Amino acid sequence: MQRLRGVRPVKLTTNERWDLVDAIAERTVTVGTYRQTIGDILGELTVKPATGIPVAVAVLYAFWSIFGSFAGTLVTDGFMVRLFDDHWLPWLQAAWPGPDSLLYYLAVGDPLAETCFEAFGMLTSGLFVAIGVVLPAVLIFYLMMTLLEDSGYLPRLAVLMDTVLHRIGLHGYAIIPAILGLGCNVPAVTATRILETRKQRFMMMTLLAIFIPCGAQLGVMRDVIPDLVGPVMLYLICGFGIFGFVLDRIIPGENPEILIDVPPYHWPAWENVARKLWTRTKGFLKEAVPFVLFGVLLVNLLYLAGVIGALADLFEPLFVTWFGVPKETVGPLIAAFLRKDLAVAQLSTIAMTPYQMITSVVLISIYFPCVATFVMMLREGWKQMLAAVGVLFAVVFVYGGLIHAAGILMGVA
Amino acid sequence: MNEPIDTGTTVLMVGNPNVGKSALFNRLTGANAVVSNYPGTTVDYTEGTLIEAHRTCTIIDVPGTYSLTPRDAAEEVAVRLLGEYPGAVVLLVLDATRIERGLYLALEVIERGVPCIIALNMTDAAHDKHISVDAAEMERVLGIPVIETTAISGEGVKQLAGMIRNAKAADISAISGRLNGDGAAEEMVALRSGCSGCGVCGR
Repeated sequence: MQRLRGVRPVKLTTNERWDLVDAIAERTVTVGTYRQTIGDILGELTVKPATGIPVAVAVLYAFWSIFGSFAGTLVTDGFMVRLFDDHWLPWLQAAWPGPDSLLYYLAVGDPLAETCFEAFGMLTSGLFVAIGVVLPAVLIFYLMMTLLEDSGYLPRLAVLMDTVLHRIGLHGYAIIPAILGLGCNVPAVTATRILETRKQRFMMMTLLAIFIPCGAQLGVMRDVIPDLVGPVMLYLICGFGIFGFVLDRIIPGENPEILIDVPPYHWPAWENVARKLWTRTKGFLKEAVPFVLFGVLLVNLLYLAGVIGALADLFEPLFVTWFGVPKETVGPLIAAFLRKDLAVAQLSTIAMTPYQMITSVVLISIYFPCVATFVMMLREGWKQMLAAVGVLFAVVFVYGGLIHAAGILMGVA
Repeated sequence: MNEPIDTGTTVLMVGNPNVGKSALFNRLTGANAVVSNYPGTTVDYTEGTLIEAHRTCTIIDVPGTYSLTPRDAAEEVAVRLLGEYPGAVVLLVLDATRIERGLYLALEVIERGVPCIIALNMTDAAHDKHISVDAAEMERVLGIPVIETTAISGEGVKQLAGMIRNAKAADISAISGRLNGDGAAEEMVALRSGCSGCGVCGR
């Protein structure tokens, strides 16, 4: 495999190179008569706004309802809740010795709890959130996303979203990291590399970490506060738009136009779908499950040590007067740094008004991304990561206040 | 005794976005690189090992790029990798349905004087679109091996694996010479081992 003697590097000009390409293609390629296929017609219809937008709405709606009915209603409510609350929890509460011991508190939690959400032990809430709620959500989400990816629909969605996203200094292709982020923010952060300028990558990474809830969080939200998911998502989308617009004005840099290469539709190859689904689910099991269990442990230890109580006292004025939420939400906010899904589950057991619930869930979503996402952001550059954290604090403070203000104006806060 | 010998060769898979590099990579190495139907799926590189005829080499699935003048961060990764492995064999992956833009990048790589081999991928899709690409003629003109493949079904992958060791550096002036029918440049290099140039196969 050694180099052929006498081959020196040369450098052609762009024109010379294209001339050579034309000459080679002319020699080797013959194009027969081409007839339009159904795929081509569908391809056209799904990018033209008049037909494409209704299709996009239908696709996304179908995505959400399959997600909800399969992961939520069928697997979690129909099977997992019964398994965990009726069998696993009572058995564990009875079998684990010494309800007053430290170990019992950490592993099982509240000896009188009736659901796995309330118990808050590693083996009760931790396992239930990870296996019972998040796993089915992640699995069905990845299955549908893989189908969207492999069929070739995603780039068409990018074309449709282009006009909207241009208003906030991004372009249509930014929809790809955004949708990946709805599954997990970790691969989404790397996917921002398909955007051209540093400005766009930074904006997308920051907005992603702040406003895109991950699949785990969506799964828990759908399960514990099904009626409030709509308003929460609405606030997140509005926030994405508002702060995208602001960041676009503040950050120097360019927003170049791009050409998107839209591939033809394909039938997804089942082999590839199965392989991807397995790789991604395995990734979840390996990374998220230990984090959830560890998160429950750490939060319990922090409660025991009185750290969370102290922090709650310290931040009480901010939370109660500025955001309008109960001071108990400080604990979940700390847990959110480890796993946001866990934090939402924890919130659901605190007594508060629906609007306070919406506010605190939105706060959790826009609050720190999980540890794994942080590590990925760090890989893309520590300066950018620090800047993103700065933006994050500003956004949490401003947007949290805005939501509270909106609630006051509507008379619900 | 049965341990495969490491040839120490690195193979870089280079091509436009969404031409099936990752699918081909998975076929060649048995790895699990993520494959999707949109340009820009691979934004970072993946390394794998190819074992062929009792020898192993390292294969790197490089993010897709349209040219060697990077346009985004993923393309920068591609150009950087080419610089980091100056002695590597480049496996150029071309989409048979969109040959021209693939050739443009291929020529850019060939100009660097590195040993190359071409995988003419998506031949199934080209067939469906009634596009036919004369691989033998392309091989003759470019002076580097050209193998037709369909990564999604695995067709041609074995042959490609066997031919990687026959990768050749090509001379641009000889290519233009052959295109212009210049007799002096017409002398043929025996690309496939065992070929004595008898002329029967038309090469």
